[in-house]
Amino acid sequence: MRMRYVFVWFVVLLAMFAGSLSGCATKAEPSPSEQQEPVLELRTLSFTIDCENYNKAVAEAVAQQLRELGVDVQVRVWGDWAVLKEALLNKEREMLMNDWGNSTLDPYDLLNPKFETGGRGNYAHYSNPRVDDLLKKGATGTDAAEREKIYREVQEILYDDAPWVFGYAMQEIEASRKTVQNWVPATDSRINLHRVSLTEGDTLVVGIRATIESLDPANHRNRIAETVIRNMFDGLVTRTPDGRVVPEIAESWEAISPTLWEFKIRKGITFHNGEPLTADDVKFTFDRIITEGGLGNGKSSPRKAGLLDPVTKVEKVDDYTVRFHLSAPWPIILQMLVHQQIVPKDYVERVGSEEFARKPIGAGPFKFVEGKLDERVVMERYDGYYGGSPDIPVAGPAKIKRAIFEVIPETSTRVAALQSGQAHIIQSVPPELVPELDKDPNCEVKTVEGTRVYFLEMNVTRPPFDDVRVRQAMNYAIDWDLIIEKVLGGYATRLNGPLLPHGFARHTGLSPYPFDPDRARQLLRDAGYRTE
Amino acid sequence: MLTAARGTLTRFDPVLIRVRTIARNFSELAYQVYRHPSALIGFVILAAYVVMALFAPVLAPYPPNKGSVRQSFMPPAWQEGGSPAHLLGTDHVGRDILSRIIYGARVSLWVGFLSVVVSMVVGLVLGAISGYYRGILDDVLSRFAELLMAFPFLLFAIGVMAILGPGFFNLIAALTFKSWVEFFRLVRGETISEKTKEYVEAARAQGQSNFAIITGEILPNIIHSVVVLATLRVGYMIITEASLSFLGIGVQPGIPAWGSMVDDGRDYLRTAWWVSTMPGLALLLLVLAINLFGEGLRDILDPRLKVD
Amino acid sequence: MRGVRVLERILSTIPIVFGVAVIVFCVMRFTPGDPIDVMMGREGHVSQEQIDALRREFGLDKPIHVQLYLFLSRAVRGDLGNSLTKHRPVSTLIRERLPATVELALGALVFSLVLAIPIGVISAVRQYSFVDRASMAAAFLGISMPAFWLGIICIIVFSVRLGILPSYGRLPYGLEPARVTGLYVLDSILTGNFSSLLAALRHLFLPSITLGAAMAAIVARVMRSSMLEVLRQDYVMLARAKGLTEWAVITRHALVNALIPTVTVVGIQTGVLLGGNMIVETIFSWPGIGRLAVDAIFNRDYPLVQGVVMVYALTFVLANLAVDILYTYINPKIKL
Repeated sequence: MRMRYVFVWFVVLLAMFAGSLSGCATKAEPSPSEQQEPVLELRTLSFTIDCENYNKAVAEAVAQQLRELGVDVQVRVWGDWAVLKEALLNKEREMLMNDWGNSTLDPYDLLNPKFETGGRGNYAHYSNPRVDDLLKKGATGTDAAEREKIYREVQEILYDDAPWVFGYAMQEIEASRKTVQNWVPATDSRINLHRVSLTEGDTLVVGIRATIESLDPANHRNRIAETVIRNMFDGLVTRTPDGRVVPEIAESWEAISPTLWEFKIRKGITFHNGEPLTADDVKFTFDRIITEGGLGNGKSSPRKAGLLDPVTKVEKVDDYTVRFHLSAPWPIILQMLVHQQIVPKDYVERVGSEEFARKPIGAGPFKFVEGKLDERVVMERYDGYYGGSPDIPVAGPAKIKRAIFEVIPETSTRVAALQSGQAHIIQSVPPELVPELDKDPNCEVKTVEGTRVYFLEMNVTRPPFDDVRVRQAMNYAIDWDLIIEKVLGGYATRLNGPLLPHGFARHTGLSPYPFDPDRARQLLRDAGYRTE
Repeated sequence: MLTAARGTLTRFDPVLIRVRTIARNFSELAYQVYRHPSALIGFVILAAYVVMALFAPVLAPYPPNKGSVRQSFMPPAWQEGGSPAHLLGTDHVGRDILSRIIYGARVSLWVGFLSVVVSMVVGLVLGAISGYYRGILDDVLSRFAELLMAFPFLLFAIGVMAILGPGFFNLIAALTFKSWVEFFRLVRGETISEKTKEYVEAARAQGQSNFAIITGEILPNIIHSVVVLATLRVGYMIITEASLSFLGIGVQPGIPAWGSMVDDGRDYLRTAWWVSTMPGLALLLLVLAINLFGEGLRDILDPRLKVD
Repeated sequence: MRGVRVLERILSTIPIVFGVAVIVFCVMRFTPGDPIDVMMGREGHVSQEQIDALRREFGLDKPIHVQLYLFLSRAVRGDLGNSLTKHRPVSTLIRERLPATVELALGALVFSLVLAIPIGVISAVRQYSFVDRASMAAAFLGISMPAFWLGIICIIVFSVRLGILPSYGRLPYGLEPARVTGLYVLDSILTGNFSSLLAALRHLFLPSITLGAAMAAIVARVMRSSMLEVLRQDYVMLARAKGLTEWAVITRHALVNALIPTVTVVGIQTGVLLGGNMIVETIFSWPGIGRLAVDAIFNRDYPLVQGVVMVYALTFVLANLAVDILYTYINPKIKL
């Protein structure tokens, strides 16, 4: 080799590296997105709605309606949550079209993160001492009626303060082949195949919309992963398709005090490797999550924060009894336990967390056969299954022999897979494809009230949305009923505040902001903006 | 042939003859395009698009973002339920598709031409310097170009968009970041081979400066292959914009670009085919025209250059 | 002498791959957005201590030049680190998924060559005929369409309306042939498993068309023009004069020479095939590295991006290398 050639390569690489270092040092600060205009009598209201790709259609429809009022709105789509989030945390963004899951149907995991000062999802940067105070009380209150009262007050404050443009709750729209029997979509969007049967064949294929994060119940933070996992693992309690909490591995429970709960474990449950499930396994499962570094190799479980925070200790009383010690009263412990699945202590300790995630063993209706997380997971019926929750009809082992979860991220492909018979059940059918499936004699669309609320968060720390009149005007300016009908195919329910229509403590006395363009114009003019 | 006598002419003549030559080249070129059927067709369509873009506010029945959700998904006028008020129907939020296509010509042509022009200029300048002076600078630039060539184009564009965030000029930046390399390689190669030719030697003997030789002698002789490459790249850029839209990082929704319109409509392809298909056809026709024109230009200007 | 040249050419690819690694490394560190933050998801639920622990685990707390040094020194040993989001070694992830991408690229390649070469030849032989004009117009269509559009339309037509081809994936469960190369088509032939072969081919068909359409268009045009040029050469005239049939002239004399430019184009287009596959892989849920790459960029999964891009670059460089070397044997006049 010629020396010069080698030398030149060296120089090029060195230069690039040096360039990148200096680039990192002066890490580009995002350019301020607007210049402050001098205050004239009436200005044009002008701002940007940010959203991710899947919310684009609604964001555009909202923008369209605001334009009719003379507001200058741009929609900006981000392929990429990371960059957007950084901008959000810097309080740079003006309005964000967003959504938030609320599987517990309790205000706790919606209001606290979204409205508490500095809450982890508080992208409106809303801060109100009274609300903070109420939310803290609500989170630890024990009396349901008391909590309901607290949350009603919170909703009233938020209604008037309007840090969001309150949007809608989306229904879960899923679809199946007609050969699939006894399956209904669940309100928390998990697909449980335990009781499902097929009129033809014994292998059922489910098309899911995204990659499965992990098969270890303690090492993911993702609805899809949970959907798959809950077919192989059972929890202490589970939720019926319409959202009630019922016993599963736990036979019964009792709150000895507001901070001490006792669970009796069902006898005769075995894991897929034949070992019996006892209090040791339950204790181990929760210790793994709540202990720092509980997953081994210094790794901690991501399933503690927001899901198990108040649990300080899990204690084995006897082989079939455990007690949960809480740091403070935690009224929604049962709703939260639905999302934690029991793992076999001996097996996990023997093989370690990583191998366990590769070859998971649970006590659920199906046992793991093989799987690639971003392609497909195959499982087979576990014949030794104890039968699941007696409160949900048709107990006993699973009806189908084999269940396969296939990852099909592209929506129209997923629908095509159902229509061509490659898949039997598919997740997340977009409303616009429902008529197409309705026409297909082999398919049926099924819907259920979902647990996700959709809204526009306004940054209350900077103009124009630091003015409550502008925020209220936004709420009056948008005809949600029209958007629900035209863009969402009617598969959504209008919100009268931040809470789900069928959730706990929803304020029934408030009616949604009406569509009132005149009122909106008036408010905007009062705030000093020009309207059409 | 067009290129035949250029070298000898310029030797004797200062500015005047050169201008005359270029003018004659242009009229001769126009005649050649006229004679070449596919180049002519391409040119006519392209010209129509440019007119459409320039006079969009006059031609379009509505502003691009006007519309009401109330009138979403109206089919084209000739279909049942369509209305003559919206010839090509309306999209998912009720905007007139014809108007958006007409305005979209601006954006798509902008995306195509701007990104190509920027990469062409960068490639031209660096390539000419590199090929003319050679030396260590040439080595460095060439190695760097080799490096960039090894990246898949789309992946690179995604990476750049991930760094810069969404936005029209960021998109242009993402599209040009790598594509200047192709111009660079072409210009550098051509410059190296032109440099040894007689007319360059002559100019040097006359005592012309290096700058004058590059701009006055070499560039006019290689510009035609650059133009051909540029034409062919325009279509590719417009298609790439559509692909980036598919991944959620294209032009922003308020701006009517055909690529993102096609992408917006893809979920409605089965229930409202026109939302995606109409801009798709506009895009297809434009890229077709550009390619026809570019291929035609290549036949006329430079039969040697075959591979883009 | 040629051996030395070839060797030198091979060695010269090393700095390219190395440089690509450095570029990707640096570029990813420019990118706003913290990988740990992204890992924790949008509903961010992790304490600062846990974040710090993760940062330590992945070495993100070290200064950037130390990170680069560690990355490169490990990469040389074939260790590309662990994926931040998938919690597995990058090299394993790539090894699992590369065959799918290669199979798709080969499928597209075969599709485009099988379609394009005859079209190019016929168009050249019957220049300006209806066949010529029609096929060249079709060739322009091939490069004038966004791939995702073509893909969705293929799915709607072939798997929904006609119901004859599957819409996603490589094979249904239970039909995977024993793994030899990881390419299902090849493996099922090697193991004599014909039901798998049929299924694999059926699954491969639509993605290959979608990915190969643009390449087919380009190859057809190049083939046509180089064939036209060759047909004008003296030796073709001579062959005709000797009284050989037109068929023999074309297949024995013209075709081989006309293929030389096509080989170059194929080499260049391999990069394009790879670069375009992330779209096609997404549409058809094809478990290759294209989609892996896009997700990795969006998730700020540094090690995975580095690994995947290095694989892309390596493939591109190797394809060009192969073309260069092939060239010296087809046409000994060309020097490297």
